[in-house]
Amino acid sequence: MHMKAIIIDDERLARSELRKLLQEFPEIEVIDEATNAEEGLQKIDSLQPDLVFLDIQMPGKTGFDLLSELDRAPHVIFTTAYDEYALKAFEVNALDYLLKPVEPKRLADAIQKLHQVEIKEGLPIGENYNRSLLSEHDQVFVKDGEKCWFVKLSEIRLFESVGNYAKVFFGPNKPLILKSLNALEERLDEKVFFRANRKHIVNLRLIDKIEPYFNGGLLIELKGGEKIEVSRRQTVKFKEMMSL
Amino acid sequence: MPLVKRKTAGGVESYNFDSIFIGIMSNARKYWIFQMIGWGMFTLINIFFAFVFNNIGEEKFYYRLLIYVSLGIMLSHLMRMVIVSAGVLMKPLNRQILNFFFITLIFAFIVGVAESYLQRAFGLSPIERGSEKAIAMHKVILTNTFYSFIYLFIWNCIYFMYHYISKSQRQQLDTLRLEALVKELELKTIKAHINPHFIFNSLNSIRALIDENPGRARTAITELSNILRSSMQTEKLELVPFEKELNIVKDYLALENMRFEDRLKVEYEIDEDTLLQPVPPMMLQTLVENAIKHGISRRVDGGVVRVISDFRDDFHELIVQNTGTLNGHTVDQEGFGISSTVNRINLLYGDKAHFDIRQISPQLVEARVHIPVAQ
Repeated sequence: MHMKAIIIDDERLARSELRKLLQEFPEIEVIDEATNAEEGLQKIDSLQPDLVFLDIQMPGKTGFDLLSELDRAPHVIFTTAYDEYALKAFEVNALDYLLKPVEPKRLADAIQKLHQVEIKEGLPIGENYNRSLLSEHDQVFVKDGEKCWFVKLSEIRLFESVGNYAKVFFGPNKPLILKSLNALEERLDEKVFFRANRKHIVNLRLIDKIEPYFNGGLLIELKGGEKIEVSRRQTVKFKEMMSL
Repeated sequence: MPLVKRKTAGGVESYNFDSIFIGIMSNARKYWIFQMIGWGMFTLINIFFAFVFNNIGEEKFYYRLLIYVSLGIMLSHLMRMVIVSAGVLMKPLNRQILNFFFITLIFAFIVGVAESYLQRAFGLSPIERGSEKAIAMHKVILTNTFYSFIYLFIWNCIYFMYHYISKSQRQQLDTLRLEALVKELELKTIKAHINPHFIFNSLNSIRALIDENPGRARTAITELSNILRSSMQTEKLELVPFEKELNIVKDYLALENMRFEDRLKVEYEIDEDTLLQPVPPMMLQTLVENAIKHGISRRVDGGVVRVISDFRDDFHELIVQNTGTLNGHTVDQEGFGISSTVNRINLLYGDKAHFDIRQISPQLVEARVHIPVAQ
């Protein structure tokens, strides 16, 4: 396994210390560094790393802000000195993080965990970034107030338009993300994510029941219990897809 | 006097409030002095009335008085022992009153009976034995009991009042003590605060420097230990010379400089005469930490932190300026650093000191403290 990594941290010494620690892991190649979130965003876009070591407290935008702006979250290992706010977010969602000064053992564990993810999904991590469409296996980073999640697209059953935001339904959560439904539709795989009407995109794999509705439309009930009406025009398309 | 042992929540220290309140006298001594004064007054008043009613010369009168006072002292002392051992003073107020009434009644009867029989035994009855006007014994006892009840009732009123007043005074002292304790604890928690984020970031930088610049790494460890030591020591001190505080701030900023490198510029404008002025420890430090946290660390390009100490009017003026904007935050919204500074100077100086934080130019925030000059 070979992984291209970027280190994003505003302190030069912290970056150089992490680089030094990573010399022990030949499978991780540090291809670049960034000193703030803005620079980090650009480098993630242009270099498409497999892995990002991300500091949370940085000038301007935080590490969380950076991730929320990405369409597709890369594998991320957070690095932080001590930040109650961040640690709280981690505890809730079991994101992977390293506390600075980084313990070599913890770093080895975190990297080991990445290997396991790779084996479990049967997806070579290195190929994640060569597609413009998001697949079910891709994850997005969602932040809502004090909580944050990495969510696999396959776990999301519904996107609902709320003004300029989209409400994302997964598990018992429904946080908001700053993305329009149209922008999402362009990036999502239409074989899995279906635009049911003006306000909703549903995950076809997570449908529980389908019933006929007024005017030749359909009513879809999702696994979470949400009932979504399929517009007449989309019903035709839906039936076509389902009959295949 | 029944004593409750007073303990603090931890049960470690016990304050003897009675010694503060009563002075050097022990409670037993205090009690006997009260007894002597009380019964002495009783004796004097009786002699006074005997003088007024002209039976001052009568020998029997003095014997009767002697018997009565002796009985009074003995039985009131016995009564006190009963009150103490039954813990009457610990009971709710209405139970206390009821208990006092019955105890008084019982002891009045005992005194009445004892007095009557002693008077008869010694032939001291005010009315001669064998005289035609001899009165039945039970009537004598009833009369004596009635008078004894009045005297013992007065005795108990004094006893009760004394304890009631001293208890309320103790409670006032307790409240004062508690307020002082709360104030002390508040100061401690405010002072002990040192940002853990800073400590761990510094340690991380030092680890990186060990290979890169061992000399700087060594200095950094000294600087960090100075800060840690001072944050532990300050718990014991309310004020330190400004010079000491300034040294900590210098160490702190040197460490931050190591982390932020060319993103942080530090400037000092120190009037040397202010170096010996007493200041609250870790206060300037908190302001500087705030300047870094809310100012420099939020800016991609960093900025300057300027520390100024001088005299203005009758005040010692401490100023921390930093590049940044207040973001329309008021003093209350600026978080722990500012609110702890405000609390501390309020606790230490009342309204004799001032604090403010404001935007002095589009790029510069200034936090300013005025504390009274020590003579």
